[in-house]
Amino acid sequence: MVSHRLEMKIRNVRIFAIPAAMLVFVTAVIPLIVLATSVIDRADIFSIWTKSPVQRALVFSLWQALLSTVFTIFLGVIATWYLSRYQFLGRRTFIALVTVPFVLPTVAVGAAFIAVLPKSLHHSTLAIVLAHIFFNISIVVRTVGPRWNSIDDQLIDSARTLGASPLQTWRHVIMPLGKNAVFSATALTFFMCFTSYGIITILGGPGLATLDIEIYRRAVQLGDLSGATVLAIAQMLLIAIAFLLWSRSRSTELIAFRVQAVSHRRLSLAPKCFFLALAAFFTMPLLALVAASMRTSHSWSLKGWKVFLGIQNQRGIDFNMWQAIQTSGKYALIASCIALPTGIAATYALSNRRSSQSRLSALVILPLAISPVVVGLAILITYDFQPFDFRSSWLLIPVVHAAIALPFVMRSALPVVDGIPNDLRSAASTLGAGPWRRFFTVELPLLKPAISTGSAFSTAMSLGEFGATSFLTRRESRTIPIIIASLFGKAGEIPRTTGMVASLVLIVLTAMIVVTIDRKSHI
Amino acid sequence: MSLIIDNISFSYGDRPILSGLSLEVPTGTTTAVVAPSGSGKSTLLRIIAGLIAPSTGSIILDGKDLSRVPTHLRSIGMVFQDNQLFPHLNVYDNVMFGLRMAKTEKTIAAKRCRDLLDLVGLSSVAKQSVATLSGGESKRVALARALAPSPRLLLLDEPLTGLDSELHDRLAHDLQRILHATSTTALLVTHSLPEAEIISDSLHRLPTAVDSVQDGEKK
Repeated sequence: MVSHRLEMKIRNVRIFAIPAAMLVFVTAVIPLIVLATSVIDRADIFSIWTKSPVQRALVFSLWQALLSTVFTIFLGVIATWYLSRYQFLGRRTFIALVTVPFVLPTVAVGAAFIAVLPKSLHHSTLAIVLAHIFFNISIVVRTVGPRWNSIDDQLIDSARTLGASPLQTWRHVIMPLGKNAVFSATALTFFMCFTSYGIITILGGPGLATLDIEIYRRAVQLGDLSGATVLAIAQMLLIAIAFLLWSRSRSTELIAFRVQAVSHRRLSLAPKCFFLALAAFFTMPLLALVAASMRTSHSWSLKGWKVFLGIQNQRGIDFNMWQAIQTSGKYALIASCIALPTGIAATYALSNRRSSQSRLSALVILPLAISPVVVGLAILITYDFQPFDFRSSWLLIPVVHAAIALPFVMRSALPVVDGIPNDLRSAASTLGAGPWRRFFTVELPLLKPAISTGSAFSTAMSLGEFGATSFLTRRESRTIPIIIASLFGKAGEIPRTTGMVASLVLIVLTAMIVVTIDRKSHI
Repeated sequence: MSLIIDNISFSYGDRPILSGLSLEVPTGTTTAVVAPSGSGKSTLLRIIAGLIAPSTGSIILDGKDLSRVPTHLRSIGMVFQDNQLFPHLNVYDNVMFGLRMAKTEKTIAAKRCRDLLDLVGLSSVAKQSVATLSGGESKRVALARALAPSPRLLLLDEPLTGLDSELHDRLAHDLQRILHATSTTALLVTHSLPEAEIISDSLHRLPTAVDSVQDGEKK
């Protein structure tokens, strides 16, 4: 009887969602409420929009996001089609190549594009759009890939036997079947580009500021907290409304992280060229970054590395790299340790419930749409006074990182948790395993892929997080991305070269961790 | 005027599937090819439809060699083993698909579509999603869909496999009736002799050369 009651309790696993809910509550909900109710000077609500930097930022945010989204979707859809339907040499490598950038640190990727582009393009809309394409093609591949991958070859054959030309097959079968996924990818890409911050910090410049940059500038540089808050809330509302409209009209498709094997088909010349070009697009910035880390303007030199490693001193560079690596590593570890158990527990609580399924997927996607900059600002305002002076505690940063990683952990865990058949649980029970025993002997081993993907994600997210961290960082606890941004903000070529070194180290570190932890599932 | 399959061979890599197969399907009749699973029956249909190219031999329909004609221009309909109904379209739109591709005039297409749904007895579910259909209903939709654009030749790949026995027999007779009523030239492949006997006018067994060699080796 007792065991039966326990069984019921465990079945009623909604309580497992409590830690995750608390995490989100403390790091997002409370701060955002405080933000919305506290520091606004009423006059700003209207007057802020008349200021020309704000108007410019708004227009530029929209413009670059639109441009980036159009190109990302166009290239992404083509790449996804071939990756999900054709077998060719290097396909697996290519899937990894296309999907990994998504977890790379934004500021470091910005630096890579500085390294690869000619000087005249360093701070240009083109550079920003290219970097956004680099990042977000993976959204398309991950969202649309599994959808197209699951289309039976014979379904396409049947369209052909009914007289559909290749073009008609695309229009009437393939696109309709991928429509929702393409739409999701488009919306998500637009959100990501609209709230882009790390990339713009490096590649932006005068006239090339997004709303997020303007929020940071007002809050930190101008001390106009009220104005920054109005902008932050406006942006949040705008995105929330767009998001609600979107999730209402479409079934929100979850990003799946695997692209399955396909039947044997060979690529013709045109797609081969396309993939060669795309491969160059993905590898060139990284190769250029390697070169740039060993170069000052006219000659090869290891000065950047020496400064980075603290072997050589440089005026104006006051950081200790080892300390930064330690700080970043510590934060990533703590963030994973928080995000992983809370995320998987919450997924557990909410899975297998059809009614909550769609709400869950919406809930899980929503934080993606809220800009980390806004979260950072909100936390800055909320916890900066007694008795809640958490901000002086370094622990706040990894906790915020955990909250940002939470949706990714849940998203990669959801299909795995859902995939555990109820009958398997029942079978374990009939064999005499109690609920806890059952969890540890049956379910936990099956959750392994979710755990590895989740930890890879949370680690990578934390290592690269820049938006929220830029508000919360303290001098003595700067992470690598913060140092990269400050190096690129300085004049002179030694800081810049050192910034290239730091970017390279961060990218390699992230890629290594992601690949080691999560070798099998191409995240 | 008919379908002539002339000396068709096909192999996957080193593994021969069909070798030197020749067959004729007279216009307006249903011909069955009976052979065990794995003997290359489906491959034969895929070659005729132009979904794969044979290693040697040619397919001649109404006196015209189809070698260089792509699938969608062959006017050869096909009912797939597992139907392959379009999941994003309802029953009516599935049947309409081929007519839309051929840009058939709307009122004519709509009438053709209704007639076919009547013929297969599914007018009542026209607006339903194909996901709600039973196995037998799905098969009828697949048949109506393939017949809608009036193909010169209809290919049927194990059309009754996977249905329970009562439904199987009923559908076999229905199929025979419908093919007759529409005087469709059809080629049916199946592993079941009784099924072939009900549906078809003439019958071929296909113990292919490849099969007999393999069997011989096994023995």
